[in-house]
Amino acid sequence: MGRKLTISCFRFNPNIPGDKPRMQDYELEEYEGMTLFVALNDIREKLDPTLMFDFVCRAAICGSCAMLIHGRPRLACKTMTRTLPSKFTVMPLPVFKLIGDLSVDTGTWFRDLQVRAEAWIHTNKKFDFNALEVRMENETAEKIYDPEQCIECGCCVANCITANIRPDFIGSTGINRVYRFLIDPRDERSDADYYDVIGNEDGTFGCVGLMACDDMCPKEIPLQENLAYVRRKMAAAGLKLKFQGVKIS
Amino acid sequence: MELAKNLQTTINRSHGKTDLYVDLAQSISGVLLIGFLWMHMLFVATVVVSPELFNTLSEGLDRYYLAQVGIPATILLIIIHIFLALRRAPVRLRDMRITYRMAKMMNHYDTWVWVGQVVSALFVGVMASIHLWIILGAWPLRAATSAVRVASSGPADITWGAFTFPFFIVFYVIFLIAGEYHGGFGLYRILVKWGWWERHTMGWVLKGITVIIVGLGFAALYTFTQIAANLPAGGVIH
Ligand code: HEM
Ligand code: SF4
Ligand code: SF4
Ligand code: FES
Repeated sequence: MGRKLTISCFRFNPNIPGDKPRMQDYELEEYEGMTLFVALNDIREKLDPTLMFDFVCRAAICGSCAMLIHGRPRLACKTMTRTLPSKFTVMPLPVFKLIGDLSVDTGTWFRDLQVRAEAWIHTNKKFDFNALEVRMENETAEKIYDPEQCIECGCCVANCITANIRPDFIGSTGINRVYRFLIDPRDERSDADYYDVIGNEDGTFGCVGLMACDDMCPKEIPLQENLAYVRRKMAAAGLKLKFQGVKIS
Repeated sequence: MELAKNLQTTINRSHGKTDLYVDLAQSISGVLLIGFLWMHMLFVATVVVSPELFNTLSEGLDRYYLAQVGIPATILLIIIHIFLALRRAPVRLRDMRITYRMAKMMNHYDTWVWVGQVVSALFVGVMASIHLWIILGAWPLRAATSAVRVASSGPADITWGAFTFPFFIVFYVIFLIAGEYHGGFGLYRILVKWGWWERHTMGWVLKGITVIIVGLGFAALYTFTQIAANLPAGGVIH
């Protein structure tokens, strides 16, 4: 027989007039290989159909199920309940707009980020439908793959004190996003163009270096490295430094 | 959050380099201060080797005007650093609450360390001012005067009957730990933000250095108490 789990869930629906934020306990039995995603679905099926939470892929790909689990932002679908104590709390991510209970709107925030970070390939090349695609060095492709794995779950925004107290800060995911284009040879933007986008306090120079993002990214993206690279690169661009032969970033 | 386009952000944008300069200046002020602090502690610790060495060094610094230039420069640097670094601290009550709540809930090591850095900064700020005031009030600086200041009972010590609260020893122990903690982890943060190195190894190296420096500081404080105990009754100067 599995453990008895007590999951203490944050409950609040801003759309119900007079509803008050509170914690509600649900008790259920744990079984082999149970993830929090499964547990929450069990609760909704058997105990309380009104509990709101998001999921789509249940395989750590869509980024919808991020929430504060036992105090830390994680993906519900990637969190095995056996790694948690038998009683723990579940809360919605901070920073993002609360839709209700455990569900938040990360979409609006990330949409705004894409626009502000100009997160698309800027190129003047005409696209030719008939030509073969230009090949990319394997090494470059692998380098890009690494920041590209971001699933926009918002964990690194929720656990960043800077993002919590400065609403305009683009967060680790934003800086990582720019990094992704910065190292992509297909993007024709100059360092000065990138500087215009994130060479400021809301961008790369706003990061305090708390590294919660680096420690808790569910995709294990090496955010410390990527953030420091962008910071050096942007500082060099701002100061118009060119070190011949010296690798500064 | 919304698209940040209003008069203020538009105007700020046209000062495109300021944010970079300020961020760089903050890190540079941090590096210079930690360089100063570690050198300072090494100099003070020469008293452990011999008071004569301490005096020779101190006289040398005076003779070549290194102290006369260095001290005002350091004070200026601290003031600049306070202005630059306080930008980052949670200053509104709302921000302090969020910071504390998140740090407590996540119980994340580096986040707690940063909270500790902001708190230790307040200690360092107040105590450095007191420290400088006292040092400059009894110039020049020699092993014997320092010993009296640190360890013999002075006007700041509080006596209840047979019990004396050794104000300055306690003061310097707290100051030493707060200063080294603040500076050591500050350097860690600078290297994390700018550097190439894996931060866990780097953290251990910096913790090692900090422990050594704090150890030197304790040794120096102990030596001062010994010197004070052997001074002729009545001491020299307060
Ligand atoms: C001996 C004196 C001091 C030394 C060696 C020192 C050193 C440092 C260093 C190396 C940093 C990291 C800077 C960075 O991340 O770019 C830092 C950060 C900081 N310092 Fe100091 N500092 C000193 C005194 C002070 C004082 C007196 C205050 C204010 C009362 C202060 C307030 C701060 C704050 C709030 C931070 C955090 C800034 C951030 O996280 O970005 N420091 N300090
Ligand atoms: S960087 Fe990591 S934590 Fe941040 S949004 Fe992307 S996947 Fe989530
Ligand atoms: S390093 Fe810290 S301040 Fe910078 S983005 Fe990550 S959590 Fe936020
Ligand atoms: S449900 Fe898609 S990441 Fe968890």
